[in-house]
Amino acid sequence: MASAVLTDRRWIARGAERTSTAQFALWLVPWVALLALGIYAAGLCLYYGLNQTNMDNRFAFGLWIFLDLSVIALGAGAFFTGFLVYILGRTELKPILNAAVVLGFICYSGAVAVLMVDVGQPLRGWFTFWHPNTHSMLTEVTFCISCYLLVLTLEYIPVLLRNRQLGKRPSSAVFEYRLHHLVPVLAGVGAFLSFFHQGSLGGLYGVLRGRPFAFREGFSVWPSTFFLFVLSAIAVGPSFLMLVTAAVEKLTGRRQVPSGLLQRLGFLSGVLLAAYVAAKSIDTLIWLNVTSPSVGFAPWEYYAYPPFGSALLFIEILLFGLVPAALLLYPRTAGNRRWLLTGAGLACCGILLNRFVMTVQTLALPTLAFDEFLRYTPSWQEVATFGGLIAYGVIVFSLSYRYLPLFGQEKREATDVSGR
Amino acid sequence: MKTRYGMVIDVDRCTGCGACMVACAAENNVPPAAPRATARTGITPMLVHKVSNGLDGEGRHEAFLPVTCMQCEHETPCVTVCPQQAVQLDPATGIVMQMPQRCLGCRYCMTACPYHARYFNWWDPAWPQGMEKSLNPGVAVRMRGVVEKCNLCHARLHAAQEKAAAEGKREIDRHDYAPACVEACPTGAITFGNLADENDPASQAAHSPEAFRLLARLGTEPKVYYRSKRSWVRALAEPKTAPGRKEVQHG
Amino acid sequence: MFPGVDGFHWTFAHIIFLSVFFTVVLTILGTLAAAAVHTAGDLRRGRAVEICWKAEFAQLPEAERHCRHELAGRVAERVCPNAFDCRHCGEYAHYAALPAGGTGIPACVGQAQTLGLNYPDNRFYHRGHTWVAPQDDGTLMVGLDDLAARLVGNPDSLELPPEGAEIQSDGTAWRMKKNGHTVRVRAPIDGAVVETGGPEKGWYLRLRPHGAADLRHLLRGPEVSPWLAREIERLQLQLTPPKAGPALADGGVLVPGLMDAMPDAEWDTVLAGTFLEA
Repeated sequence: MASAVLTDRRWIARGAERTSTAQFALWLVPWVALLALGIYAAGLCLYYGLNQTNMDNRFAFGLWIFLDLSVIALGAGAFFTGFLVYILGRTELKPILNAAVVLGFICYSGAVAVLMVDVGQPLRGWFTFWHPNTHSMLTEVTFCISCYLLVLTLEYIPVLLRNRQLGKRPSSAVFEYRLHHLVPVLAGVGAFLSFFHQGSLGGLYGVLRGRPFAFREGFSVWPSTFFLFVLSAIAVGPSFLMLVTAAVEKLTGRRQVPSGLLQRLGFLSGVLLAAYVAAKSIDTLIWLNVTSPSVGFAPWEYYAYPPFGSALLFIEILLFGLVPAALLLYPRTAGNRRWLLTGAGLACCGILLNRFVMTVQTLALPTLAFDEFLRYTPSWQEVATFGGLIAYGVIVFSLSYRYLPLFGQEKREATDVSGR
Repeated sequence: MKTRYGMVIDVDRCTGCGACMVACAAENNVPPAAPRATARTGITPMLVHKVSNGLDGEGRHEAFLPVTCMQCEHETPCVTVCPQQAVQLDPATGIVMQMPQRCLGCRYCMTACPYHARYFNWWDPAWPQGMEKSLNPGVAVRMRGVVEKCNLCHARLHAAQEKAAAEGKREIDRHDYAPACVEACPTGAITFGNLADENDPASQAAHSPEAFRLLARLGTEPKVYYRSKRSWVRALAEPKTAPGRKEVQHG
Repeated sequence: MFPGVDGFHWTFAHIIFLSVFFTVVLTILGTLAAAAVHTAGDLRRGRAVEICWKAEFAQLPEAERHCRHELAGRVAERVCPNAFDCRHCGEYAHYAALPAGGTGIPACVGQAQTLGLNYPDNRFYHRGHTWVAPQDDGTLMVGLDDLAARLVGNPDSLELPPEGAEIQSDGTAWRMKKNGHTVRVRAPIDGAVVETGGPEKGWYLRLRPHGAADLRHLLRGPEVSPWLAREIERLQLQLTPPKAGPALADGGVLVPGLMDAMPDAEWDTVLAGTFLEA
């Protein structure tokens, strides 16, 4: 296959079928353009200040915080799959583990990058470590996410070192072998960290005494949103992983994982989603009838401002909660690929809606008697940065798929001559 | 004796002139608003709201409510949530001290504050040429990307403490320390003092039956009180259900 | 964060929070350090080749990892758990004692004895298609077996190890270049290079083993033809143009110089499967 044309064949695993270099480059072009636009927009914000966004003193959190929370919840599949495989021994999920790690790495690194643009003084990021506030949920989030990003990087390195060229040197191969052996430790640490930061992200909102829409009672120092966020994250992580895998299968025209694996992910998602819907319903009832009135807000008052009507609550819990849980659990629909993916998609929408509502609706609602309901539309710089993050994810995942063994044993399967 | 600085704002005396806002800006080196600044992106540590009783026509009554940092005493929301302790409740004075030098600009405190009393520096501060001569040398200028708020003109407290120390005294003279807004108010609507001292006029005003605090039900124990003989003004302490109470902010 | 930093207080929450944080960080960094230290240790103790081979073996497709005892018909199906290292396999003796072809499954179906290929009985064969011939003076001759030689044909260039070089089993014996592909030939045995040869001499290396040579892991005698039958089937599948689908030819001998005869085949895949590269 020696070719005079410029090719990256030597970077691709032997026997692995990939599109031509030119076609792959063509696929990357629009994503690189989107990423460049995102970097430019982020650069504007870093250079000129956050006045480039449409956030203001009343909407201190905006599109980016919603993006960060959503992306971190969607990336929960990484730690959860690792937990299931290494701690609970569910080895049937092993083929998807590498993809889950890469996806998690993308989500967390992207979220941290956007956070660095979102804060007013990014260079002071280390102050949280030097003067931690043990009462603050955000301190907890900062510590956990930083450590967890480190864990994900260390889990990504063995996958990287399995690249045909990168793993050539004996020192790389031996290091990969040794690190790979210790991955169960990292998986355990990762699960511990993830539980806490997914929860603390929920806790961020639950402790806001001054925002009765978000405020919740809970267990000890942890508001109920702490547990709801963890539950929703592990419910949607497998779904997102399933959607991404299905997208890869569609784009490459090839099955990437053993049959039944996607359905297995859907089942996991469905069970956890059902539990989440139950928990959230109970929490919502308590909030509407007990917590909120105790600080002077009657139920449904929050939903008096269109378009944030009470339909939002029902959509979040029923259409994006109960319905996908049913689709993913009921064997007839779960066995049908289209319904399976629809269920997963609806579940992801539910998470996005939940994070959106907790961020934007919380801040839009009045707190003082003479406050008003406010509106906020992100500026193009914010949207472009958002787009840049998505482009970053697609690019990293595409590169990982092309050059790394992301999905189990796909190569040379045709040579199984014994007919087994 | 324990010191807990606080204010009592007499709503019945407030004319909405805004002198307190101007004095606050001058004292605290608040830069002129950037060209694209709006009411929601400006910096107004003291902000006067125009409020009404919600009726129209003949029955309509209006008033002005100056809102500043409430110096919450109990489970101060901003103190609890700041990830790097850039704001602390000073145990000696009860003032909630914001440290812009430590602020990361994450704005979590701004979402936590129920009174919307915190302001972010969305722009780099810039003074027209010559105007920098009007800067108060006792107050540090903040840079872009950090949060600021009222700190009861702490520089003035500092000056009063230095004066007392120079005179060999341990306690400051009550008349030597008053925030700029208190000083500037033409009707004397703001009474400032030590709420922990029962002989202090501010403390006595705070205990009057017409005194109220905003959102007292939240339990943050604010140290900024309001008083009014009008019951509809006192009703503004807690949010009502009717959404039609949209009001225009002053300034 | 630490005592001595302005504002630090020894509260219960601080103790819990910071001890958890430091435990987590130390665990993570400890993992990284352990991996690095072990790696350095492995490299220093010369275990790099062994570990690289183990890691690469695990990445080979299952079809290329069948146990020699399965090939010999002693057991119905068994995937090698030991990277073909029969010398250190705990179960080798157990399986070796079983009768060859005794499971009722024929070792090969209707194939001629050595399928027209030259596989002398006095040689021992490595799964990476090299042979070892012990000499009277205690040295070992190593060469490329007939199947591999016919595949590659006349190499464009040859990179042999220098005299005195240490060769490690399953490491690199020598490299050959052909039509832009680099073939890395796996060493069948340990030893120090005494003399080098080439395709024209019929052998490539003469090695002096350290102590007595242990050849247990190499195939010999009746194990060879079932193995070759499998290899030929694999080649036929891999060399068939994709649209045609697998087509098993009956009889037929491998043409020498196949790489020249079929320049458009997926040589990347074929060579990797033949010379045991992932």
